[in-house]
Amino acid sequence: MEHDKRLMGRVARGDEAAFTELVGRYAGRLLGVARRLLGSRADAEDAVQRALLQCYLGAGTYQAEWAVSTWLYRILTNVCVDELRRRTSRSGQLEPPARPDAPGQYLDLHRALVRVPTEARVLLVLRYVDGLSYGELARIRGISINTVKSQLARGKSLLRTALTKGGAS
Amino acid sequence: MKTVLTDDMLKGYFQPDAEPGQLARQVLLAARASARESEKLLDRLAIQATTEGISLIRAARLEKPATAGARRLVERAREELYEYFQGKRAFFSVPVDLSETPDFQRRVLEAARGIPFGEVRPYAWVAQKIGHPRAVRAVGTALGRNPVPFIVPCHRVLQSGGGIGGYLFGSETKSGLLALERTTPIYEGCASTHIVCRVGCSSGRRMRPDNRVVFASVQDARSVGYRPCKVCKPSRAA
Repeated sequence: MEHDKRLMGRVARGDEAAFTELVGRYAGRLLGVARRLLGSRADAEDAVQRALLQCYLGAGTYQAEWAVSTWLYRILTNVCVDELRRRTSRSGQLEPPARPDAPGQYLDLHRALVRVPTEARVLLVLRYVDGLSYGELARIRGISINTVKSQLARGKSLLRTALTKGGAS
Repeated sequence: MKTVLTDDMLKGYFQPDAEPGQLARQVLLAARASARESEKLLDRLAIQATTEGISLIRAARLEKPATAGARRLVERAREELYEYFQGKRAFFSVPVDLSETPDFQRRVLEAARGIPFGEVRPYAWVAQKIGHPRAVRAVGTALGRNPVPFIVPCHRVLQSGGGIGGYLFGSETKSGLLALERTTPIYEGCASTHIVCRVGCSSGRRMRPDNRVVFASVQDARSVGYRPCKVCKPSRAA
């Protein structure tokens, strides 16, 4: 299999087949993250599509010192965080996104997750959907490793409180 | 040939269907369309200014600004509009000059300026805002004659029922602008300086693309160790 970075080089030269190959490699993981951040499948697809568009148009600015996955996650979380901002400003409060496809035992967790502040939520999702390291999380959100650790700890403690309070209603 | 069932196969089978081929195709189509749209619109625009600010933006031939100061403002407006159309600007800092605009219309335009980036309001909201709740139609007319479209965001005013309403450059452009604003972030931080700016801030423009981190609010940015920019003052953004 061609190395990710070589593939990015071809994408930067406008090679559409290389881009299709890249999407094939990452679309599933990107959708997984977007879906857990935004709730609905439609919103997640929209976000991934926008992120991929930025990735295609900005492929020339990709630096080889980045792992391609880290770079893609940065772009995707940028899109998702902005989408979350829009929801908050629209309703003036946290909006519990519809997630009718969440299995019963996860519903409470999902409701609790919505109450975790955006930055901690993004880190929790990346950590648990794709098992990313502290270093990768720090790079993706442009923060220090210590901040990653404290945000994750805070996020988890908020989740725990919300769940013990009974369904975070 | 016999197929051996493996965990990987099961995982692959039950994975949500991402249809990567189709996704890639959609993105490539969007890429081809987006590159040209914004430049086409900007090419059509002529901009006029006084020494006080931008006074007219139209898709027509306009006289060249008389003074060097006004010419500089026109240059700046063109640059800001270019960035705005590219989704790289969430506010305009170039001043406008509405001194020649009749009083009623100026109040309407100032109310429209109060609508935050990426949001919309009905005509009736503007009418209410200027203290003439029944003058909805007159508000529509005043906005329709907006001398400085884009910078004074008359495109953010819609019909009460959610209809798109009229627009100087056609309703297609209007909905295009609203779609653009829906996908333009407002706050971005620089991963190397840990400063958070409004998108379009002059210091943000020098940022390397891979240092760009989008935040949902200034408060969020602060919570992970960023401080607000002193030039664009993002905390004051609506």
